[in-house]
Amino acid sequence: MDMFTLMSGLQLTCIYGILAIGVSIIWSSLGMLNLAHGFTFAVSGYGAWWAATTLGNSGWIVLGAGVATGGLVGLCIYFVAFLYIYDKPNYPIRALIATMAINMVGVQTLMWLFGPRMKSLPKVFGSGVVRLGEVVMTYGQMGTIICSVGTLGALLTWLGLSRRGLEIRAVMQNREGAALVGISLRTTALWVLVLTGALAGLAAVLLSQTFFVNPYAGLQPLIKGLIVALLGGLGSIGGAMIGALIIGFAEALTASYLGGQYVLMVQFGMIIAILLIRPRGIAGLLDESREE
Amino acid sequence: MDKKKPSDNTLVGRRRWLPRFILAGNRTLHRRYIPFTRRTWFQGYAEVNPRNLVREYKLDDKRPWFWIVGLVLAFIIPMVIGTNLVYTAAITFAMYSAINLMWMLVIGTAGIFSLATLAVVGVSAYLTAWLSIDFGITWPMMLILGALIGLVVGVIIGLPALRIDGLYFALLTMGMVELCRVYVVSSKVFGAAQGGLYGADTFIPADWQFQTPGLVLGYVAAFCLMLLMLGIYRLVNGQRLGLLLATARESEATAEALGINYQLARLTVFVISSAALGFIGGFYAAYYKGASPALFSIDMVMLLFAMLVIGGIGRAEGAVVGTAVVVFIDKIFVEYGAIRLVIIGLIMLAVTLFARNGILGVRLQFVEFRNKTKSGRRAQRTEKGGEAMPEEATEIRDKDQIYFRRFDKRLREDLKKMVTPELIEEHRVKPLGQHSDSLERVLNYFRRAGGENKYVLYEISPGIEYKVVATTGIRGLLPRDVDDVVYTDKNEALHAVFLKRVQDLMES
Repeated sequence: MDMFTLMSGLQLTCIYGILAIGVSIIWSSLGMLNLAHGFTFAVSGYGAWWAATTLGNSGWIVLGAGVATGGLVGLCIYFVAFLYIYDKPNYPIRALIATMAINMVGVQTLMWLFGPRMKSLPKVFGSGVVRLGEVVMTYGQMGTIICSVGTLGALLTWLGLSRRGLEIRAVMQNREGAALVGISLRTTALWVLVLTGALAGLAAVLLSQTFFVNPYAGLQPLIKGLIVALLGGLGSIGGAMIGALIIGFAEALTASYLGGQYVLMVQFGMIIAILLIRPRGIAGLLDESREE
Repeated sequence: MDKKKPSDNTLVGRRRWLPRFILAGNRTLHRRYIPFTRRTWFQGYAEVNPRNLVREYKLDDKRPWFWIVGLVLAFIIPMVIGTNLVYTAAITFAMYSAINLMWMLVIGTAGIFSLATLAVVGVSAYLTAWLSIDFGITWPMMLILGALIGLVVGVIIGLPALRIDGLYFALLTMGMVELCRVYVVSSKVFGAAQGGLYGADTFIPADWQFQTPGLVLGYVAAFCLMLLMLGIYRLVNGQRLGLLLATARESEATAEALGINYQLARLTVFVISSAALGFIGGFYAAYYKGASPALFSIDMVMLLFAMLVIGGIGRAEGAVVGTAVVVFIDKIFVEYGAIRLVIIGLIMLAVTLFARNGILGVRLQFVEFRNKTKSGRRAQRTEKGGEAMPEEATEIRDKDQIYFRRFDKRLREDLKKMVTPELIEEHRVKPLGQHSDSLERVLNYFRRAGGENKYVLYEISPGIEYKVVATTGIRGLLPRDVDDVVYTDKNEALHAVFLKRVQDLMES
């Protein structure tokens, strides 16, 4: 494995990890498979692009705008697809469809507003290369890796140490139990959706360092995020990390040795194999063992 | 849906729309059976209309009528409009409804969340088209081989469903779809260069191609395909397999305890529907003269899923109506471009947010909502003295009851004014014998009350011990104890009964 493959693998791992953890946390805490995550991703790219063209090219502005847009979209999803139906019959499937509909409407609206042309974001981390002995990294790759690892570390620390993090973890373990000890599902859901939206926004800015922003930009990351989250086992953050590692490196290796068109094929082949061995993903538990 | 014969108090007063057929008196019990079965064509019951004393036959289940009317309309409307655009849309509608019916069987009946439905159609369409082009098989053979291919593919995809379930299986099938798509797009045999595989045999005569007669023939054929799939849906979902799986849906543990092998039933349903989907694939190839990679695109799967959800999951009507709505918007508003997808998305959003189970579930949801609010209102009204309110009155058969209750309420209001501490004291001093006018009136009212829940005195041992009991009003059913106080003095006991009755009067 040459260094370039390793680095791009690491970069993809980080971005997929951020997306998958978002999907995974939303699923396990709110019982909702958020198919609008890809839309959040695309809108954040446009938010960052808009900030870059009107407010300024500074890296902080672009990153901040992406994250803020993501959070805002998360808020919208909270109001549209969660708040009204979370205590109604058939909630999981209705939430799934509602987020799917948001995705559909949103992507078409983006298409209508901005057109199908791709927009490129400014290089947040500057352009240039770092040499660490034999390893050559672009600033973009290094920035992505450091930024996402830092964010994930901060997120996990916050989940582990803060009061709000405790509440989120409690809801993830058992929604009814959490409600019984006085944790408001509504408030927690608001936090979860805004937080994961902001994470998707961050991932959008980071991925747009290599790819372009367009209305359909969210579809592939959404599929990857779902794949990683399911492969890792829904509701398990560690599993999502391992899944991201596997999928990210599989993608980088396939792209450099077999060719880009085989990426999804190899990934799905692996998923089929892994799911046949472990039906609930790598770190997922069977429903009987997980406290529902 | 409640299929029992509605009891009287739910039926009277609700102006339901019911087709009524006037019967000759001796035909009440005459039933026409479907030949060689013990089923009747329609389920209904005969009864005498109390207004005009005419025997009428009412349908229990109106769905067969809706189906017949709806299908006839669906068949006729494109013929009446008759433009090529409408015929194309109608063919798409019929074909997608056929696919969706089978998908409904997989998701609704078997409870397997598979996204590979369209892919089975695609695999079968590609293979039959390939066989037809390279080996020259004709279109009837394409249909048969398509079904066989679907059967095999169904077994291959279905087996993992024994082990993997829910979203994980959805992911697995999504992976399979993607594998198929990439293979088809990059394979030379399956026409990677032309964007699809074309040139298969077709049932449409060569000089009718792309002409209105060809479209009409295509529509009639696609409609027959849809009818066939409706038949399969009915056979699987309404018969033994469907019942077994309905039990499993309620509770898997119970089903297992009853000895139902629901895993096998699930797999069977999955394989049956896959074979049917393969048949549809053969039809697809025989109508479009080939297959296109669009059959494997995720967008298409999502659009079909949107149809199921808009219609309502778990019922055949849902698949057909949902398909009709989406195809109508998608094909008729073609000139509006991408905006129609926004419309579809907004409809989806509205349906999921406000309807519990699609458009077809709205009626049941409304009935439940109405019953809830109605019983709430009724509970408020019966507090007002037990008089029958107009709404309630329509549901009481014996109209004397209404007048009696009105009289009774007014009487009680008068008597309540008479009950004073002096009156109770008068009764305590002398329960029997001659009383003042108002006490006599109150006592008369008590004496006249019906036997139901009437407080009476019970002699445990005559002249020594008494207690208060309440009669049930039903012959043969023993009175119930009211409290465990035992009275030794008869007058005291009589006064206790009086106090109980007064208490009930004041509370009514």
